[in-house]
Amino acid sequence: MKKKLVALLVLAVLAFFPLVVKDNYYRHLMILFLMWVVIGSAWNLIAGYTGQVSFGDAAFFGSGAYAAGLLSTHLQVSAWWGLAIGGFVAVAVGLPFGWICFRMRGAYFALATLALNEVLRHAATIAEGFTGGMVGILIMPSFVSKVPYYYVALALAAFSMLSIHWVVHAKPGYYFVSIREDQDAAESLGIDTHFYKMLSLGIAAFWTGVAGALYMNYMGFIDPEVVFSLHDISIMAILVGIVGGVGTVYGPMVGAFLMVTVQELFRSGFFGLLKYLAIVTGSDALGVLAEAVTGAHVLGFGILVVVVILVLPNGIVGDWPKIRKSVFRMKTAV
Amino acid sequence: MSTGRKLVFAVFAVVLGLCIGSVVVAAETLKVGIVLPLTGEQAKFGEIEKRSFEMAAEEINGKGGVNGKKLELLFEDDTGKPDVGRSAVEKLISREKVPVLTGGYSSSVTAAATAVAQQFKVPFMVTTGSADKITESGYDYVFRINPPASEYPAAVVTFLEQVVKPKTAVILYENSLFGQSSSKSFEEDCQKLKIDVVAKEGYHKGAVDFKPLLTKVKSLNPDLVYMVSYVMDASLLMRQAKELDLNPKLFIGGGAGFTLPEFHKNAGDAAEYVFSAALWVETAPYPGAREYFDKYAKKYKEDTEYHGAEAYASLYVVADALKRAKTITPKDVRDALATTDMKTAFGPVKFVSYDKKTQQNKIPTFLVQWQKGSLETVWPKGVADKKFIFPVPKWNERK
Amino acid sequence: MDVFLQTLVAGILKGGLYALIGIGMTLIMGVMGIINLAHGQLMMVAMYITYVLHLAGVDPYISLFVAMPALFLLGCLIQRFLLNPLLKVDTILPENQVLMTVGIGMVLTEIIRFIFKSDYKSVSTGYSNATFFLGNISFSIALGISFIIAIAFTVAMFFFLIKTDIGRSIRATAQDKDAAVLMGVNTGRITIITFGLGSGLVAAAGCLLAPVYYVFPDIGGPFTARAFIITILGGLGSTVGAIFGGVTLGLAESFGATYISMDYENIIGMTIFVLVLLFLPGGFKRLTKI
Repeated sequence: MKKKLVALLVLAVLAFFPLVVKDNYYRHLMILFLMWVVIGSAWNLIAGYTGQVSFGDAAFFGSGAYAAGLLSTHLQVSAWWGLAIGGFVAVAVGLPFGWICFRMRGAYFALATLALNEVLRHAATIAEGFTGGMVGILIMPSFVSKVPYYYVALALAAFSMLSIHWVVHAKPGYYFVSIREDQDAAESLGIDTHFYKMLSLGIAAFWTGVAGALYMNYMGFIDPEVVFSLHDISIMAILVGIVGGVGTVYGPMVGAFLMVTVQELFRSGFFGLLKYLAIVTGSDALGVLAEAVTGAHVLGFGILVVVVILVLPNGIVGDWPKIRKSVFRMKTAV
Repeated sequence: MSTGRKLVFAVFAVVLGLCIGSVVVAAETLKVGIVLPLTGEQAKFGEIEKRSFEMAAEEINGKGGVNGKKLELLFEDDTGKPDVGRSAVEKLISREKVPVLTGGYSSSVTAAATAVAQQFKVPFMVTTGSADKITESGYDYVFRINPPASEYPAAVVTFLEQVVKPKTAVILYENSLFGQSSSKSFEEDCQKLKIDVVAKEGYHKGAVDFKPLLTKVKSLNPDLVYMVSYVMDASLLMRQAKELDLNPKLFIGGGAGFTLPEFHKNAGDAAEYVFSAALWVETAPYPGAREYFDKYAKKYKEDTEYHGAEAYASLYVVADALKRAKTITPKDVRDALATTDMKTAFGPVKFVSYDKKTQQNKIPTFLVQWQKGSLETVWPKGVADKKFIFPVPKWNERK
Repeated sequence: MDVFLQTLVAGILKGGLYALIGIGMTLIMGVMGIINLAHGQLMMVAMYITYVLHLAGVDPYISLFVAMPALFLLGCLIQRFLLNPLLKVDTILPENQVLMTVGIGMVLTEIIRFIFKSDYKSVSTGYSNATFFLGNISFSIALGISFIIAIAFTVAMFFFLIKTDIGRSIRATAQDKDAAVLMGVNTGRITIITFGLGSGLVAAAGCLLAPVYYVFPDIGGPFTARAFIITILGGLGSTVGAIFGGVTLGLAESFGATYISMDYENIIGMTIFVLVLLFLPGGFKRLTKI
């Protein structure tokens, strides 16, 4: 009951956000955040619940984005149809792949997803005539204002989380977890593990593809390096999943918020704070620090990956009891 | 936890305050928003451009600024990614309220960034992003000083037509936006010149071994090998061509990698006699070109190249528009940009519309050749400072 | 015919270099089951060491003796302080260590970029482009030497694993970690040494690659991918398999480039990878039993 209340409250706050905050910059960051909620939740379903870690989420993301983009360049229909179709295109990519590759286990499956993404990226690059190659696809975004995008993203985030919440609390969800914990045991209990892995992958691919289509509509530009990117999409999806909490429904939301914020913090040198302080105080050391922080934002990102895995391998939501305990212990010590 | 949350809010409040504060302080200056890749893979060129922008700003402000106001450059790092570039532009427009934007290095980032500028109706004077379609979308707030990728080899075409007259050609290109679009347009040029393109092959950047590809080229025995490659692939292509004793009548590079000093450093004597298309050379007959080159070399102890010249000229174009604009609003600055007609270190700048393109600058291009380790301008004849060496000696005839 | 032979030669010579990259990976994966996505980045670090020494006038072949110990040490430290602790933490997903190596790879790349900037560097030597011709077929001397060194390292590793105590402990750990512990093998120490060895071997590949290629912070990624394909192709933990895997990949890429299109170079590698995983799990090792 309390959980439901918190969820409704969060939803209400998010629904009123663009009415209160008029600054497009923050609205933009919030749209990215909501998009990552969708992708992170989807990754969490296949990896966190079902235990089939995907290193190639970009394959589904890119398929969805290209579905939307190609619709508008080849058939002259609005790229918004991509939201409806992109998810299914991603499923069409994911299911045959899963059918073939789900006989691999653990890390080998992860590598196969990596390979799938590489193959799709190169294919999209080479098939110049169809995809435009590295020239990419450019469409004019339909709205100047961010508000429509915001609400579309919010709706997608809410629906994806709802659907995943529903699935993991129904029968398939328990099967997913049993596959993660011990696939052989699950099999011996008569669970069709291949089928349930495919189901999980199908749902995850669908939502990731939808997020890709949203990206196409919102950004107005895609090329193979952008949407089939290992670091910017696949690894980011894993981080969102892991930082928030593996195998928790709300984890990806926390993860998405933190990752988008952290990325922007590093990129902008703490929103220009360091640079400003350097100018105000006239301190050279701060100036150098500001340059170093913005100059090394990918480094910061990498260090974050290392630290998160060492300290919070199950994410903030997953390791919450641990965090609370250590904070509590600190307080009593003081 | 609540103390933590308070802290976060406090930080946010401070940041917000600072931003508002900076707006007040900045009332005296004219802001110019600049989007460049300052980190990541493309950071090298981002830095050359940033330095050149800063040099131009120092000069302009040193002479009293624009209508008595100083230029304030606001750099945003796009990290080479379109979505980051997009948020950078949004930040510049909605937070900093810049009346004009410039910069834009990679085509993909520029494509995404210009779309935002167009939506918000803030003029964007593109410095580099060379994909043809950037000025083919009918955006009336987007201008470009750089010629589109398809026009880079203009000087090559006249050189082939008047001097070399090859019969067959092979085109090798990197699978990047620049490689794909400029190889396509060169193929069309070849058709016009009645040159038979016997093979057109793409490759992915960073390949280790081009020998299989070059072996195939050798068996086709073309008169001309035209390559659109970035610097290190360019160097490997030439080194391995030498290893395989591949001897077409001439090798021509389609700009980008072939004119950089790193190309010669890595390729060594395999770089000799290689031709390349070039957009800008310091010996070009433009006012201030040589001065800019020398000043940059003196200040940063490094050579600059055409990207730097573009950036340097871009700020002069923007400053000129700000000076002529009736008021400092995006609309008026846009109108002023549209009537630009000036000479810069990068060449004459005037935004014209032709074919599918709108508000595009047209400049002549050059042909350069590596001769005894230095890059010499050899074509067109009017600006050539050395005579081209053609025919090129075969590998085994060289010392 | 010349085209065919030249392609064959190019493929085999490149394969030798690939093999050397793969040997380190096969050890790490075979012994610890650790999927090291920072492998190419470790090689990149070795290439920068070669570059710095080259500036000081040291020949890349001599810098082998500096880069290999240095990377051995770096590998040991990574295993000791970043990967071994992961084995002790209780997590839902065992794949955390894969992501950890991704993070390590990013950190290595960015630290190098911080120091050397995104500039292309060259290690040009007199023999970088030296060739000799046999009929119409050109042989690269630098790649020929690296091929011989790769074979030498493989043979050395082979005997090291079979004849020495540490080698036997490594194989024991690879076969059954729990049994090895019961037999008194300090597996923690063995994993550290193995990761160090793997890093040292890929450092050797870096030193040999530097003169014929170039040096750049981002070049690690594609080589990590190739190292995988080779390891899967050759079979986990098989040094002899790595040679076969390397040469097979080299040949596949070369013939693909000549007879299909160089566009497909990467797709060919990835396709081989998935096909082997599906239809020949265990790789060549399963056929040769070495």
